[in-house]
Amino acid sequence: MKHLNRRHFLGAGLLLGASTLLGKELPTKPIAIPQEYVPPIIAFPEKKPMIAVSDRPPLLKSAKGRELFTQPITPNDEFFVRWHLPDIPTFVDLNTFRLEVKGEVNTPLSLSVDDLKSKFEPTEITAVLQCGGNSRKYYKNVGPATHGVQWDHGAMGCAVWKGVRLKDLLEHAGVKESARWVGLNGLEKPAMEETPDFFREMAIAEALEDQIIVAYSMNGEDLPYLNGFPLRLVIPGHFADSWVKMLTEITVLDRYQKSFFMDVAYTVPDNDCECVVSGSDFEYKRKPIASMKVKSVIGYPSSDTVIKKGSKVKVTGVAFDQGKGIKEVMISLDGGKSWSAAKLAAENGKYAFRMWTYEWETKSKGDFSIMARAINRIGNIQPQVDEIGWNAGGYQYNAVDVVNVKIV
Amino acid sequence: MKKLFLTALILGATTLFAQVAKPIEMPYVDYPMAKGDHDEVAQQYCLICHSWGYVLNQGKKSRPYWKGTVQKMVNEFKAPISKEDQQTITNYLVKHYGYETTSAH
Repeated sequence: MKHLNRRHFLGAGLLLGASTLLGKELPTKPIAIPQEYVPPIIAFPEKKPMIAVSDRPPLLKSAKGRELFTQPITPNDEFFVRWHLPDIPTFVDLNTFRLEVKGEVNTPLSLSVDDLKSKFEPTEITAVLQCGGNSRKYYKNVGPATHGVQWDHGAMGCAVWKGVRLKDLLEHAGVKESARWVGLNGLEKPAMEETPDFFREMAIAEALEDQIIVAYSMNGEDLPYLNGFPLRLVIPGHFADSWVKMLTEITVLDRYQKSFFMDVAYTVPDNDCECVVSGSDFEYKRKPIASMKVKSVIGYPSSDTVIKKGSKVKVTGVAFDQGKGIKEVMISLDGGKSWSAAKLAAENGKYAFRMWTYEWETKSKGDFSIMARAINRIGNIQPQVDEIGWNAGGYQYNAVDVVNVKIV
Repeated sequence: MKKLFLTALILGATTLFAQVAKPIEMPYVDYPMAKGDHDEVAQQYCLICHSWGYVLNQGKKSRPYWKGTVQKMVNEFKAPISKEDQQTITNYLVKHYGYETTSAH
């Protein structure tokens, strides 16, 4: 059914294109249509019951689906969870927990959470946290399903983060002339010593930017354990991969250190479109993902909603980008032939979800595709579903969002 | 006296951080694994680092995909799996969670 709708709006031209692309993917033997596994819905600590994609490491998304994106702030107990390594301490003792600032600094620091709260100026920022692989399941509209967890839009949220500027910590420690990179590490550890640690790096110039904070609070509360209690790095406008959870080590480095999680995982093709011919595996020069791409997601209605003819539908959703600010969100109800502007709510800082609404008076019966497309203040626009460049890791998906509804 | 004062301090701290005063209890999810074709080998190695949810979430994948994934676990994540067991795991994954094809996906 969904397939039919998609074909309907993409049109026959793309269908032809798609079958050419997919031609080489056809299995040599006919196979049964695979049934999608439905993960259980389970309550984890400090969380409402959520869809448990994995328990170890924990990978959770809200059971509400799109409905989560009808509000500007995502509640802590519904916020998505994604760890990388299986050994996560189940207890953090704040009496002994310390954040170390070390390496190429004049005075190494060892700070308790209380030190951060009492000795540094607090700062607050509302910012979207989005997994680099969020929405990657939709890449199968333009090519083979990619590697990685097949997230729908569930691996994102927006929260008010409060903490200390990373810059203030680095300046307090005194960054040496030799500083080039900042390495970040937290308490999640692999099961085996040989497995690479979840180590991330950012250039020193970036680390000294004002908006990056070491957060001890999320939406006015301690960070939920599964979102990185007691401290996590917040890099507004950037994908989640460097927002290190249970942050314990900030190491100033004089040179870049190669590492699995920087150079292999979370990478896209190192070319202008950051894409490759669909189906090619990781045989390309790569670069780490960083800035988020302009994106809008429809919160209401969700796909397959049945709506009575004549009712007024308040199409609602969120939009965000890398921090340039959303200029416009366009809505189409005819498969992308015509577009009209949605009403934007007031901006809640340039890194937050921007809410939008569109009043739709349903006048005729039938199947409709609702599409949302955002453009930001520097002219970045979401690609059409059939235009988005494919990559094997399935990162940074941001094509026009689509839901199919029925008016009866 | 000093000792008492310390105890009071610690108690105070415990109340402040009541939320995490004791270890959290992580639920265990029993993700189903297909039986047969040496599922015990997949169990023995794959579950060292991650739940079976990771596999179930992928949907059906090709032989080259599963072979590449098993190789990634060995080469990048340093899973201690012998060549023979890698083959066994790949065959098991293809049979129960994939399909035979010559293309990469």
